[in-house]
Amino acid sequence: MSTVFINDIEIEVGPKENLVQAAERAGVEIPHYCWHHDLSVVASCRMCLVEVGEKKPDGTISMISKLVPACQTPAKPNTVVLTNSEKVKKAQAQTLEFLLLNHPLDCSICDQAGECYLQDYTYKFGNAQSRLNEPKVQRVDKYHIGEQIALFTDRCVMCTRCVRFTREISGTSELLVTNRGSVEEIDIFPGEPCNNKLAGNVVDLCPVGALCSKDFLYKKRVWWLKTQNSVCQGCSTGCSIHVDQEENRLYRLRPRENELAQGSFMCDDGRFGWKYVESESRLFGPRVGKLQVASQHHAVGNSNHANGNGTAVSHAQVALNELATVDPWPTVLNATRQAIKSVVDSGADRFAVVLSPMMFCEEAFMLAKYIKSINKKITLALGPVPVVGEDDLYPKDYKGEPPAADKVKFTIRAEKCPNRLGVEAVLKHFQGEVIGFETIAERLNTTKIDGMYLVGGYPDAWLDASVLGKLDGLSTLIVQDFMNSPLTDMATIALASATFAERQGTVVNHSGLAQEVQQSIRGSTDVRPDGRLLFELSQRQGMYKAASIRTEMAKEIPAFGAFAGEIGELGIQLFTTVEGKSA
Amino acid sequence: MSFEPVLLRRWGKPNSQSLETYRADGGYAALKKAFAMEPPKVVEAVQKSGLRGRGGAGFSTGLKWTFLPKDVQGPIYLCINGDESEPGTFNNRVLLEEDPHQVLEGIVISGYATKSTTAYLYLRYEYGDCYRACEKAIQEMYANNLLGKNILGSGYSLDIYLHRGACAYICGEETGLIESLEGKRAWPRIKPPFPAIEGAFRRPTVVNNIETMACVTQILDRGPEWFQSLGIPSENPKDPGSYGPKLYCISGHVNKPGLVELPLGITARELIDKHAGGVWKGRKAKAVVPGGISMGFLSADELDTKLDFAGPGKAGCLGLGTAAVIVIDDQTSMVDVLYNTCRFFAHESCGQCTPCREGTAWSAKILSRIRAGQGTLKDLDTLTDISNSIGIMPGTTICGLADGAAWPIKNALKKFRPEFEEYITSGRRSQSFEVAGAH
Amino acid sequence: MSGLTEVAKQKIRDLLPCYPSKQAVTLPALHIAQEEARCVTREAVREIAEILELSPAQIHDTLSFYGFFKDEKHPLGDNRIWVCRSLACMLRGGDELLAEVCDRLHVSPGQTTKDGKATIELAECLGACDGAPCILVNDKLQLRMTADAVVSLAEGRA
Repeated sequence: MSTVFINDIEIEVGPKENLVQAAERAGVEIPHYCWHHDLSVVASCRMCLVEVGEKKPDGTISMISKLVPACQTPAKPNTVVLTNSEKVKKAQAQTLEFLLLNHPLDCSICDQAGECYLQDYTYKFGNAQSRLNEPKVQRVDKYHIGEQIALFTDRCVMCTRCVRFTREISGTSELLVTNRGSVEEIDIFPGEPCNNKLAGNVVDLCPVGALCSKDFLYKKRVWWLKTQNSVCQGCSTGCSIHVDQEENRLYRLRPRENELAQGSFMCDDGRFGWKYVESESRLFGPRVGKLQVASQHHAVGNSNHANGNGTAVSHAQVALNELATVDPWPTVLNATRQAIKSVVDSGADRFAVVLSPMMFCEEAFMLAKYIKSINKKITLALGPVPVVGEDDLYPKDYKGEPPAADKVKFTIRAEKCPNRLGVEAVLKHFQGEVIGFETIAERLNTTKIDGMYLVGGYPDAWLDASVLGKLDGLSTLIVQDFMNSPLTDMATIALASATFAERQGTVVNHSGLAQEVQQSIRGSTDVRPDGRLLFELSQRQGMYKAASIRTEMAKEIPAFGAFAGEIGELGIQLFTTVEGKSA
Repeated sequence: MSFEPVLLRRWGKPNSQSLETYRADGGYAALKKAFAMEPPKVVEAVQKSGLRGRGGAGFSTGLKWTFLPKDVQGPIYLCINGDESEPGTFNNRVLLEEDPHQVLEGIVISGYATKSTTAYLYLRYEYGDCYRACEKAIQEMYANNLLGKNILGSGYSLDIYLHRGACAYICGEETGLIESLEGKRAWPRIKPPFPAIEGAFRRPTVVNNIETMACVTQILDRGPEWFQSLGIPSENPKDPGSYGPKLYCISGHVNKPGLVELPLGITARELIDKHAGGVWKGRKAKAVVPGGISMGFLSADELDTKLDFAGPGKAGCLGLGTAAVIVIDDQTSMVDVLYNTCRFFAHESCGQCTPCREGTAWSAKILSRIRAGQGTLKDLDTLTDISNSIGIMPGTTICGLADGAAWPIKNALKKFRPEFEEYITSGRRSQSFEVAGAH
Repeated sequence: MSGLTEVAKQKIRDLLPCYPSKQAVTLPALHIAQEEARCVTREAVREIAEILELSPAQIHDTLSFYGFFKDEKHPLGDNRIWVCRSLACMLRGGDELLAEVCDRLHVSPGQTTKDGKATIELAECLGACDGAPCILVNDKLQLRMTADAVVSLAEGRA
């Protein structure tokens, strides 16, 4: 450790920090554009110029006469940094004047307004007036940069973060600088747009409104957006993200810096893959469809229609129809409990519960605990684990081949669910083992299973026709899901649950890191966030609070011992894994 | 008493480029002398001679060589800067066209001293005749065991490759050259690391100028003491002095533009009057560029400035630079001259860092507007501000192009301000041709 | 538009052993391409990228830095004549020379004459200040030029 003096503040710094990082930790902002901790240092924007010197052993300070970029200067013992001297302030104002010389100053139509480093720095460090008295360089906007990316060329400050990203992180090298001097621009090679799977990150990296996301363009002023911390559900990498919403509508997802999780970026599949939250095919309310109750004296397969025998469940159906304007859930959950009881009463081995790897830990825990409290012999199994292709490693080489293992900077994983490890840990505790979905589906043929409680939560269709066919034959099929599908159509009870944006809980990624998903929006009124749904199903007292459930989990399941402490914004290491295999 | 040329000795002689002529005149004796010494001793000799790089920066050549790490495993590269593009400069062109072997011998000696494994001669594209002369000379060297494996049985091996540029001034900057050699846009690198530690292809690298290489040959042939006997020793201990012969280029408004070899230290006045036939058309000099336009201007009362490494600095210029003297007569408007230099730097700025990219273009536009009769006095303050805020000296840019862009502005406005003010207040428009699409 | 000939590709490959990295052959390869076709076509850029194991964007990035290389929409004429506009030449009539040459040939700087015989370019200091005003014809310097001499060269008469 070493002491560094930043203005009038003394701090200890670690071995590999530059002055921008050291200053940040001291609470001092050194403005910068081109530097980014994941990219090579170019020190070309010259925004971070500071005065540096050395504090000698006798206490005197000798300063270097010329300014130096803070981003390329390591924080060494006894370094003295001035970030607010007259010289530095003059340089900052001058750099901003230079950057704004040919800038169109079109904040009123620029997406970046409100989160723009030209605005922010000009306000803090710049001059109110420009001395420019010449025509500005005119540049043409470029919509061809990428499928998702548009370039408003005249706003660019040539920080080259975008170019370095495509060369150093994605490896796909689509972006380039063209021309020389003050007429330089960012561009692509004609016919080779920036469409790699990490392309959206250049929009985040761009400190100004030059590179914009076509998906978000002109949709919402950022100062109206409210942001929540969340975790991408797309794969087991579990990128930390921000979810931006206004009035319960999602507008965009952005990566959230987390060196414990994925680092600074996210892939486009996750970034743009949230539209299903607003899909017309959402299950907007619970449905109690045809009910099949297996009585004690009838074999599996007899069905009694709802308007037949006066069972408790059919009464519930009638009650539901009558109470259309009142919260249907108490009735539905009651019907669910009864339906489960009916099957289990004729044999616990006739009922099975499938927990999807899309569930949050707290949800899996509550469901598993509740089911086992009804009867220990009810089988718990793991839902389908979607795997698409192979892990996608970056940066690619010129042929598109992945890098060597020690050179990987980003991975899009083949396992397209966020919490297999978490759900498996719950299953191992309550079931003693993890029964895979293929196994349980097989048992539909060979065993007496007559009732199932299936949790879905997948954005896409997740069961093939043959499995659906088998499920159709069950007397009791309870489906907890958020999308309408042939499965929910055939369900005897469809429990309309929520997407990740509409509920709160914890997921565990490929490396055993548990992160909390905060709720960002309220779903439609008759959709139940799964945590609350299962809390009420299991007739717990009070209200669902993820933290309380975690405390309970920490007490009861050793694997979740770390849940006893605070999760924190960056998550907590629950267990360590060999890549991809559970603890 | 006129100086007997050493570097330009064979200029004008028939077949001066051929190996045969060169050898007959004593060529490659220096190389043999070098091979008889250990490489560190060659470095010492060059250091002792006081040779300072002739490319414009004037850094001690021998000292630069000592920055290479000792006991390096793997390649060391020697890059020869043949990108000479500083306006007013043409000494390297003459050396390569007329006497390539003198330069190439110096390259082999320098390679031996620095233990370089490969040399790249980066040659500006426009020097086509130089390219062909070097190509031929290199072929002759390979055919005569002066290049390639085990040169003259010394155990030292060196390959030289010619690498042609594509018309960009910034490729003359040390790390700009390296980036261009590596196949990228010639954006100079931030330092540290310096090329001696991490240069071309991430290996230890030395970049040396053409005329410097010719000097190395002569130092090994005639001895460091000979080199020290020419020039001006330094007055103050911090100044490494100005030693050896120098090729001075003279152009502009003189009767005899050309190249002349003299010991370092001649005054601008003597150079113009005694060696360039004096100012043309019976006129007087209004301003003189002392060492390529990056160095700024000497005014008419500063013509007794000694053109050594220390002299121009004393008169407020950036330095000796390439010792390329351009004479501007008293019928020429300094506004036109300054516009010309600002436009040059705006065109050549690599564009990487903000102050240079924007500052050079802005100053060219301001001068253009002044020339169009629409300038204001405030513009002169803006120009001064720009010139004070861009450069490696204040620390605001990555390389020295910005300092070169700033110095003519600084000198012009300091030494010729009344002329600029009068031009502006009179509303005059420039008569000279403004090329459409000039930027 | 077409790419490189096999001869050109081989010339490029022959240079690979001269450098420790393939990317270093970029500039020589671009010269080879332009010499052959009087411009560097898009296809040629792709082919160079293929040989040097880079993306076409990286080649294009380097290419566009040097105003030297022309694209397929602006191929060079038979002769490329650069007129210097830096200080030493300006002082000896370089700007007037350029103005007159452009006027008589009916081109602006950067354009090719209608008969395709010459492309007139602006140059920065050509390194022939001793013979100002000077020009570069392809890669040969010509010193002490007059407008008549330049126009003759451009029209293929000299």
